[in-house]
Amino acid sequence: MSENRFAAGFLVPGGLWLLLLFVVPLGILLAISFGTTDDLGNALYGWYPENYERVFDSIYIEVLARSVGYALATVALCALVGYPVAYYIAVFGGRWKNVLIALVVLPFFVNYLVRTYAWIAMLGDEGLVNGILGDDIQFLNTPWAVIGGLTYGYMAFMILPVYAALDRMDPALREAGKDLYGGPWQTFRNVTLPHTRQGLLAGTVLVFLPAVGDFVAAQLLGGPDEFMVGNLIQQQFLAADNWPFGAALTVVMMTFLLIWMVLYLRSAAREAREVAA
Amino acid sequence: MSSLAQADAPAAAPARRVAAKPPRDFDRPRFLRVFVGLFFVVMFAPIALVVLFSFNASRSLQNFDGFSLRWYERFFESETLRSSLLASIEIALITMVVATALGTLLAYGLVRARVRWSGAMNVLMLVPLVTPEIVAGTSALLLFTQVGLELSLTTIVLGHITFSISYVTVVVRARLAALDADVEHAAMDLGATRWKTFALITLPALWPAILAAGLLVFALSFDDFVLSFFTTGESPQPLPVRIWAAIRFGVTPTINAIGTFMLAISAVTIGLAIALPRLLGRRESGLGVLLGREGA
Amino acid sequence: MNESASAEPGASGKPVRAHPAEPGASGQPVRAHPAEPGASGKPVRAHPAEPGASAIRFEGVSKRFGEFAAVDSLDLDVKAGEFFSLLGPSGCGKTTTLRMVAGFEQPSEGRIFLEGSPVETVPPYRRNVNTVFQSYALFEHLDVERNVAFGLKRRKVASDEIRTRVAGALELVELRGRERARPRELSGGQKQRVALARALVNKPAVLLLDEPLGALDLKLRKQMQVELKGIQREVGITFLYVTHDQEEALAMSDRIAVMEHGVVRQCGPPEEIYEQPTGPFVAGFIGVSNLLPGKVEGSGVRVAGAEHCRAEVPGHVSDGDDVQLSVRPEKIWIDDLEEGMVSVGGTIVERVYVGTTTQVIVELAAGARLVALEQNTARARSDDRWEIGDRVRLGWHPEHARVLR
Repeated sequence: MSENRFAAGFLVPGGLWLLLLFVVPLGILLAISFGTTDDLGNALYGWYPENYERVFDSIYIEVLARSVGYALATVALCALVGYPVAYYIAVFGGRWKNVLIALVVLPFFVNYLVRTYAWIAMLGDEGLVNGILGDDIQFLNTPWAVIGGLTYGYMAFMILPVYAALDRMDPALREAGKDLYGGPWQTFRNVTLPHTRQGLLAGTVLVFLPAVGDFVAAQLLGGPDEFMVGNLIQQQFLAADNWPFGAALTVVMMTFLLIWMVLYLRSAAREAREVAA
Repeated sequence: MSSLAQADAPAAAPARRVAAKPPRDFDRPRFLRVFVGLFFVVMFAPIALVVLFSFNASRSLQNFDGFSLRWYERFFESETLRSSLLASIEIALITMVVATALGTLLAYGLVRARVRWSGAMNVLMLVPLVTPEIVAGTSALLLFTQVGLELSLTTIVLGHITFSISYVTVVVRARLAALDADVEHAAMDLGATRWKTFALITLPALWPAILAAGLLVFALSFDDFVLSFFTTGESPQPLPVRIWAAIRFGVTPTINAIGTFMLAISAVTIGLAIALPRLLGRRESGLGVLLGREGA
Repeated sequence: MNESASAEPGASGKPVRAHPAEPGASGQPVRAHPAEPGASGKPVRAHPAEPGASAIRFEGVSKRFGEFAAVDSLDLDVKAGEFFSLLGPSGCGKTTTLRMVAGFEQPSEGRIFLEGSPVETVPPYRRNVNTVFQSYALFEHLDVERNVAFGLKRRKVASDEIRTRVAGALELVELRGRERARPRELSGGQKQRVALARALVNKPAVLLLDEPLGALDLKLRKQMQVELKGIQREVGITFLYVTHDQEEALAMSDRIAVMEHGVVRQCGPPEEIYEQPTGPFVAGFIGVSNLLPGKVEGSGVRVAGAEHCRAEVPGHVSDGDDVQLSVRPEKIWIDDLEEGMVSVGGTIVERVYVGTTTQVIVELAAGARLVALEQNTARARSDDRWEIGDRVRLGWHPEHARVLR
């Protein structure tokens, strides 16, 4: 038995599992997205592309657009806040680098629901902030509450890749940049930023993809006006019992995300080739 | 921090260049330090709130009225919540064992096998990592219902395992790729069959990574909500699903207790992942193994 | 496909492995059946390690990776008990050849015979060879003793015997007392010795060494070269040694095969390779490259400086052919020439002092340079005799030059 065939055998158990429990369900999802429901709410297979037409109906498109909008805002906020934090830790962290990064990651070991719930506890009408300020400020049930919740929820996914990229960068490059460009801002724009592009891109993808499909933040921190596509899908599956339509929504969302995923992978591969050359 | 001294020095541009612009506040560590400090305050405030108020004697979320363990009592007295906690632990344990086994085997195959379809297998392994959980949840739900499997702890476990394999593979693969391939050749050269080589040489070299990956999977499974939400049966339900139901009905301080308790478990798990390899005689820590993989 | 060995235990006095294994016995290396008489044209061996017997034979062996041939139609015969080196630059196929003997690569074409028996169907863990890897490949999670004992344990040797043999092996490589150490606590040289002991303790028919001294510093490397040669003599095992360092190969080997692009350019004892290279590659790779381009003319070669040098013109070249004239630097005299020497004129362009000798680089014409070697004896330091820019006459005896094509 050659080494190759021996090692290839190892691929079988995991591969089979993924095939049966990951790929097949996606196939079923796709199939049922063209289906319909009977009077009892059971899903039936068939050929009903109307589901997709319905997805592109204005109401639902609005929700999709909102999801993308919130997700983009989340990415922007995560980058604006996360990058400086990562920069500080990587460049000025010194001995405390590992501790600081651990501190960044630590909040994420609190359950996502509990973390989001904590914001309700803080910002709700009977919450801590209102208690301190005395006023009754409406924090929740607003788009910014949802975006804030999403940002808080996915911040670590931006910081970690950016930190890794910054940490990997040779500090001598920054020194050289300071010589060449004079100001720290110039150095940052012309040296640091380009070198950490891949990290930033990775962070963007890691935040954007799950954020689009998130429904927890919108459900807990927002109202029906802030609903995202994730909430819609969840409704169709668990409340409205319209699985085919829910599936169609899911497929559309997935396809949209896949495009960005492929673009990102191409860019990462190109970068890897450039580095190797 | 020596680099601070460097950073505080004025820009190195000599006079012959364009007059050096005054260093912008953006890059001064002083400003950054404040910013980062604020960042941590905002990050930890909600958590501090949850932990603190889990010991609050009253229901209030605005005033701390004394120390009390009543919410924890409520938590552990509730039959539903107790069975949910046990269910979550059970699910996490089984997921940890199975996903680690499958993921490790997959990692070995991906690194050592040079077949035409290992590229496709690599992609297949990566896709679950970037699949939004709601897609995972709905497709899993579809699978189980179409196949006729009743939603229960079993279906939750099956779903968790599916999405945990990739984490294990990524962590173990990184470690395996760093190992000298000739060590395995040496073992075979000395008379060990391929199986013996794997058991006596490869696995012992990999175990810090396997352990770290396993504990990571445990933590992820224990905390999982969306996937569990779609694949859970009536009872018992894992803890995060119960929390969701509780939150939907309104804010109750028991949630603070549950959240704090879950935080403790997750912290211990990750702490073990980091500390165990060191304690059991290896130089590297689990943190290095896990973080080495972050970033594109 | 396991077949029983046929050697009688102890017959040759050389350490012989115990019984023929039953088919399927785990881990025990089984020596395949000796070739039938006449099958390969070689006589059937009676015992292992009989002087003159073939330890490794390559017949038309090629290894291709897609279009690229790493090894191309290799025919070699390594005799039992000899120190045989595969020498060549990176990418010449020497390591691939070694790995095919060990069993980590399979030949695309041709056959390999170990002690007369073909090995295509024998997996690496059943071959009677052991390898010392360039990166040592020690087992990090085992201590030195367990590393060395690994092969013996695979073959289920009794524990007392293991202890004695491991002690003996560590004695041989001068590492007694370090049994409990872990590989990460050892220096490069020590790790290399452990790797050596780990291989030798199994008493293989052939020891394969893949540039084992590459990672060591110069002084240690020279020291280890002498030690390795001594060990090889002492245990009498065939060594197949891969290196790119021609000095190393010349110093240690009984025979050398010089390889380029997967092909053996020349095979023979060190003196033959050095003094009588058969081609420009070998002449250039071994020692200092003193190659003068020129054309055959009558009983010699007209070289670039337009001077005619008498030389032994081999039969396969004729007048007007483009050839290279090769002379070893220590055979070249400067100015005080002897009678009968061939001579050419040139200008000194560089002097390189290397302690025991001085290399004097003389340019005969554009692109034609010769390096002459002068010993720095107490009586005559080269620095005192010649300056850069001096015009000198170089000379050598015609039989010391080779005409190569």
